[in-house]
Amino acid sequence: MTLTHLNARGEAHMVDVADKPESRREARARGRIRMQPATLALLAEGGLPKGDVLATARIAGIQAAKRTHELIPLCHALALSKVTLDFELDSTQNCVWVEAFCRLNGRTGVEMEALTAVSVACLTLYDMCKAVDKAMIIDGVQLEEKRGGRSGDFSRQATEVRHAAPADASPLMPGDGPAQDETPVVLVRDEAPLVSVRFLAELRERLGEEQTELDPAQLTAGNIAGVKRALMAADPRYALLAEGRVLAARNQVMATDDTPVAPGDEIAFFPPVTGG
Amino acid sequence: MQIDIRVQQAAFDAATMQQRLTAGRRDIGALVSFTGLVRDINERPDVEALTLEHFPGMTEPALETIARDAGARWPLTGVGVVHRVGRLTPGDPIVLVMVTSAHRRAAFEACDFIMDRLKTRAPFWKKEHTASGDYWVSERQSDHDDAGRWERA
Repeated sequence: MTLTHLNARGEAHMVDVADKPESRREARARGRIRMQPATLALLAEGGLPKGDVLATARIAGIQAAKRTHELIPLCHALALSKVTLDFELDSTQNCVWVEAFCRLNGRTGVEMEALTAVSVACLTLYDMCKAVDKAMIIDGVQLEEKRGGRSGDFSRQATEVRHAAPADASPLMPGDGPAQDETPVVLVRDEAPLVSVRFLAELRERLGEEQTELDPAQLTAGNIAGVKRALMAADPRYALLAEGRVLAARNQVMATDDTPVAPGDEIAFFPPVTGG
Repeated sequence: MQIDIRVQQAAFDAATMQQRLTAGRRDIGALVSFTGLVRDINERPDVEALTLEHFPGMTEPALETIARDAGARWPLTGVGVVHRVGRLTPGDPIVLVMVTSAHRRAAFEACDFIMDRLKTRAPFWKKEHTASGDYWVSERQSDHDDAGRWERA
């Protein structure tokens, strides 16, 4: 196996394809963007502030496939004969699956075009939805199959059956879809964005801590008072929050005990102000 | 209404702020300015220096809100606020509030109001350094009483 984009001296170069015979080339790639169930519901009902999310992501993916050669240094510019983007809203895994299919009659494969289309469509979905959900995760971008060309056909499903190893029998994210769709996932994280908590001035010095994070699941009440209680329950040091007058700000605006707190918020606690 | 808010370590110059608030205008009849200085006697005598901490990201919007609240109560043409942060020594100017209006009463009252609000609502904290040690300055009831005057009015 050699890397065709490296020449005899190991330098990157563009492969000369003038003498390769033309043939029908096809590639299918897939990826997904995971999001909060509420974000997915908004997307499904067209309630997001930037408008028709899927139509925009589809156009973005098609445009990206056509411009792959401008992004990937040693890729040829291809006259694609067909590019399609399909989206599947998956409410069991809380994600949007993105699938791109590219075809042309030519001398080079179109898998880079399909992968670029999936990536840019996912980025566009992120952009369209980020106003309501910044913790979305793009992952699982992969080539599913390709046909044509000297290197022959490829199918992930067939490959993974062949390569099935004992380690793959215990996926890190159980219940995350059919086994043949899964490459091992190394990133495991809670999808709910955390509440970040900051301490300022004397409070910071007495706690010996500038900031911490709180899993929204730990909140008994979704407000500032709930954040205080959750901190005090987690560590007796935070009893300081109940001593004397402690002020709070939510996302840099003065708040009271009743101010609502949402995942992703920044909550700051500080002593009474003494400027001027 | 023109609003000019600055939070900075460097010293400020009231004449420069005056220039910014009055340049090219002929409708201003009054300019009132307050400058606060660092004292050497506070909770303890012999204050050698103080360190001013603030909450970047919140401080400027908080000061702007105070300026807008003043603009909603009095007919003002401009509000300028400069607050210094970092280490300061007695005698150093620490805060400047400058208000312009067509008439003096509005400018006097708005300047007073802005300082009262600033002392009770803007996220600044003073730590004083004295011969007998460092301490964080406590809030004063008198500042809350002063700010309370504007709520009753």
